[in-house]
Amino acid sequence: MSRSVRFVALLAILSCVTQASGGRSTAVVQEERTLAGEWIVRSTPIDGKLTSPKGITLGFPDRDMVFEQQGDLRTGVVLREDVGQDVRPLGTWRVMGDEFSTAFQLWCPDTNGPCGSIVMRGKFVRDDKINGTMTAFFDVDDPSTPSGFDTWTFSFAGNRVAPAATGGAK
Amino acid sequence: MISRAKHSFRLAVLMLLAAATLLMSGIPVSAAAKLAGQWMLTINIPEGPNSSTNRTLVLNMAVSPRNGSLHGRVAITDEAGRTVSGAWRQVGKRASIAFEMPCPGDVPCASVILLGKVKGGGFVIKNGTVIVMWDTPNDRNPALYDTSNGSFRGDRLQ
Repeated sequence: MSRSVRFVALLAILSCVTQASGGRSTAVVQEERTLAGEWIVRSTPIDGKLTSPKGITLGFPDRDMVFEQQGDLRTGVVLREDVGQDVRPLGTWRVMGDEFSTAFQLWCPDTNGPCGSIVMRGKFVRDDKINGTMTAFFDVDDPSTPSGFDTWTFSFAGNRVAPAATGGAK
Repeated sequence: MISRAKHSFRLAVLMLLAAATLLMSGIPVSAAAKLAGQWMLTINIPEGPNSSTNRTLVLNMAVSPRNGSLHGRVAITDEAGRTVSGAWRQVGKRASIAFEMPCPGDVPCASVILLGKVKGGGFVIKNGTVIVMWDTPNDRNPALYDTSNGSFRGDRLQ
C-alpha cells in the first residue's frame, strides 16, 4: 500500500472516530435531568439571616424530599418523620435543562400561626447533586417587599439518596 | 296551641326535605367552604417580569380531597391542554394553592402561589391574590428572583 493511500485511509478513520465521539457527547448533553427520586436537602442561612423580616423561621432541618413523575404530573413530598409520621408537606416541580424549580406548601398545624409557601430554585451540579435557594413567602403582609408578603430566602444543597421509584417515570 | 305545633312540625319536615334534596344533589353541603372539587380559575398576571401588560389565564383545576391531611394535591390544565401538578392547604375559608406554571417553553416561566377565600357556600373565590416568582434572577428582590402580583377568581364547576 502506497504512502498516499495509507494517509487517506488514516484520515478517513480519524474522521469516523471524531464524528462518532461527537455524536455520543451530543447524546449525553441532550439527556434530560430529573428530580425524580429521593434527596436529602440541607439548608443554610444567607448572610446570617435566620428568620424572615417579620421574625418567622423554619429552622434549618435536613429535609428528606421525594419527587415523582407520573406522565405530566410531577409531585413532591417532604418526609418529616422527625416531626411526625403524618407530616408530609406536598409540592410540585419542573426541570429546565440543568435548572429546576419546585413549589411547596408549608405544614402549619397551628392554625393561629402564620403559614406560607416555598419556592426552590436550583441547578444540577451532577445528576445526583443539586444546589440553589429556597424562598419562603409567608402569609403575612409586608409592604416593603415587591410581592407584598413577608419573604425570606436561604440556600440549600442536596444529594440524591435513591433513584426514581421503579414503575414510575424517569 | 295545636295549630302552632302543626306549624312547627310542617316546618321541620320542610327543612328535612330541603336537607335531603341538597344531599341527594351531590353538592358538598357539609364541606360548604372546602376547596376539593373541580374549579375554573381565571388568573390575571403580567405577561412577564417587569411587564405592564397583563394576560389572562383560564385554567381548570381538579382539587383532590386532603383525606385528613393538612395538604392535598391539585391537577391544573391550561387552555392548550398542558397539565401540571400542585399542592393546596386551607384553614377556614382561607386557601392557598402552589404550582408551577404550565409553560410552552418560549415565554418566561414561573412558580405561582394563589391565596384566596372560598366563599358563596364553597362555590366561588373572589378577589384572590396571586404571587408569581419568575425564573429571572434579581439580586435586588428579597426572593432573589423577579416577582409579580396578580389577581384571580375561582368558580366551582363540580
